[in-house]
Amino acid sequence: MKMQWILATALSAALGLPALAQDKVKLVDVVELSGAGATAGTNWKNGIDLAVADINAKGGILGKQIEITHYDTQTNPGNTRAAVQRAIDEGTYAVLGPVFSGPIGASMQIAQRAEIAQFVGGEAANLTMQGNKYLFRTSLSQTAAMPKIAAYLKNTVKAGSVAVVWVNNDFGKGGRDAILPELEKAGIKVAVDVATEQGQADFAADAIKVKNSNADAIFVYLNEEESARFLRAAKQQGVTKPMVGETTLLGSKVIELAGEAANGVKGHVGLSIDAPIPAFQEFGKKFQAKYNYVSDHNGLKGYMAVYMIKWATEKQKTFDKKGVADTLRGATIKPSDEPGIMIETTIEQNGDLDRESFLAEVKDGKQVITATLPKIKP
Amino acid sequence: MTAPATHGAATERRGLALPSSIDGTLVTLVLGAAILWFAPAGMGRYGTYVLSLWLVMSIAVMGLNLTLGYAGLKSLAQAAFMGLGAYATALLTSKLGLNWYAAFAISGLLTFAVGLVLGFPALRVQAHYLAFVTLAFSTLIWLILRNEQWLTGGVFGLSNIPRPSFLSVKLDGALEFHRFVVVVTFILAAALWWMIRSPWGRAFMALRENPVRAASLGVDTRMYTLLAFAIGSAYAGFAGALYAPLVEFIDPSPFSLSQSFFLLLMVVAGGSGYLLGPFIGALLGVVLPEWLRVVGSLYLIVFATIVMLLLIACPQGVSGLIERGWAKLTGKAGGR
Repeated sequence: MKMQWILATALSAALGLPALAQDKVKLVDVVELSGAGATAGTNWKNGIDLAVADINAKGGILGKQIEITHYDTQTNPGNTRAAVQRAIDEGTYAVLGPVFSGPIGASMQIAQRAEIAQFVGGEAANLTMQGNKYLFRTSLSQTAAMPKIAAYLKNTVKAGSVAVVWVNNDFGKGGRDAILPELEKAGIKVAVDVATEQGQADFAADAIKVKNSNADAIFVYLNEEESARFLRAAKQQGVTKPMVGETTLLGSKVIELAGEAANGVKGHVGLSIDAPIPAFQEFGKKFQAKYNYVSDHNGLKGYMAVYMIKWATEKQKTFDKKGVADTLRGATIKPSDEPGIMIETTIEQNGDLDRESFLAEVKDGKQVITATLPKIKP
Repeated sequence: MTAPATHGAATERRGLALPSSIDGTLVTLVLGAAILWFAPAGMGRYGTYVLSLWLVMSIAVMGLNLTLGYAGLKSLAQAAFMGLGAYATALLTSKLGLNWYAAFAISGLLTFAVGLVLGFPALRVQAHYLAFVTLAFSTLIWLILRNEQWLTGGVFGLSNIPRPSFLSVKLDGALEFHRFVVVVTFILAAALWWMIRSPWGRAFMALRENPVRAASLGVDTRMYTLLAFAIGSAYAGFAGALYAPLVEFIDPSPFSLSQSFFLLLMVVAGGSGYLLGPFIGALLGVVLPEWLRVVGSLYLIVFATIVMLLLIACPQGVSGLIERGWAKLTGKAGGR
């Protein structure tokens, strides 16, 4: 009799297992965890893990727990392609990542062919210009951010000439190519155009070039670590003109690394845990508590990406992979409907985002938001 | 020959038929090609893609194996040559609409010619000085790929690279393209097999073992040094010509200096100077990291440990280990 019970228990356990597996929804994140993109990729990954933990703690998506897997791309396009293909072969519900624009370019056709939505962290302008209906950004594109910066340089800083300092990778080059026409439109002269290297350690020569150009303001478009090094070098060389930049120049990592030299830096911020939105600040605290360091904008992007998937799934009330993309295109997600999205976000037909952004300044080692800029198409 | 041959019941399929007789190598190539033709059945697109990537990298490693393993020239520019081939093919097929076969041939010729030009310093400088020359070349190519945006797309790369067709069959699908890669790899490997058996191959080996003696025996060392380097570079060009349509996107990163080092590692780990070594080396370099994905974020550490242990256990690479194992089994002395 006892044996029968054991058998029955074993049988029901065996039968129960597949049912258990069905209660999960599989998400695969393909991201730069080693190589040049490791800093950005790790923030992105941690943001995703945080969102998944939050959602699972509250019962998952439509009652299903999320099962998240991360695949490293080594910041290499060939490997990224393999990893995205693997994610799709394994039946992922949607693809998260990558963050760098080159690997995105290498892998986006695969998700497109499989008709699976892909949520990327890239900001390069050309990504959403290729008619891919399955690609979604998680931040403003450079084409959306740069007009705001040009207007700021013209109206607030009142600069007649600007020195442009950029990092020669897909991010920096894309930003530079997007700001130059905007500066021209605003009637601002480019005094000097300085290209720097990814991972560059010494910015003294670049700071001197900028100083000698005698520009009214300096537009700095570098990744976080390089931004901090440039700010330090500029301070050492006695550069006193206003420094203006984008999200990466005002990030918490930059302030931490540049110390004193970061004070007075101004710019446009898309996503920041210091923005005057309680949900952002709360995210910042949760992130800090879990990972013991301050999240940059990539952490926020990863977090929101998961909530975009959750919102679309609950809206369509079923786990239809293709439907995720169809539901998201043209939609506006409000924090009142989905608190995890944190800020009202409109997804345009091409996968670009439109949302409020901020003007900020670094004062006494802290990022202070000075103004909130409305959506482009309110 | 000092390392102990105790480790490794290496069950590598290609390796089992690696006796001293070179004809066994050809049989292995034919068998391997036949197996790989059918292998992707039930593997899904991901598995098929990784197999194709493995074969493409094997071609580049084969070229470097000729330069390093047979002729003893240390080159750090193999990935740069692969980049030349990949960009040439991508530009010719996507921008000029040339057919892939012509682009493949031009890529090979271009890298052969550049290899000849770069090979000239090899006549004057030896060993690590040659490595420096190729290192400089590698950096130069990378800078051109990145900075000449009007031509190469710069850091944004080139996308939508078309895949070739065979007669009237489109090779856009993963399986079709994989089979195409198998055929091209087989032809290139068989050509190398023939070359190594020919007087050329013996001349290359003579260069490696003792250039002075080779010269005294009437081997034209200048010509053979140049040829070894140029042919090795052409193989990198061929690999690039396949890499571009396989990934359908290229940017400068897979052709950087660090990738050249990685290719060098594959030659050494697979067994430099063995014809089948490159396949094993590329298997370690391309497929092993993918297999190790199950261990999660530790996979690069595990990979590095495996490679280091392997090189400590058998400095001659996996092929050397298999050869010694085989010699022990059959009681015969192994030869290359």
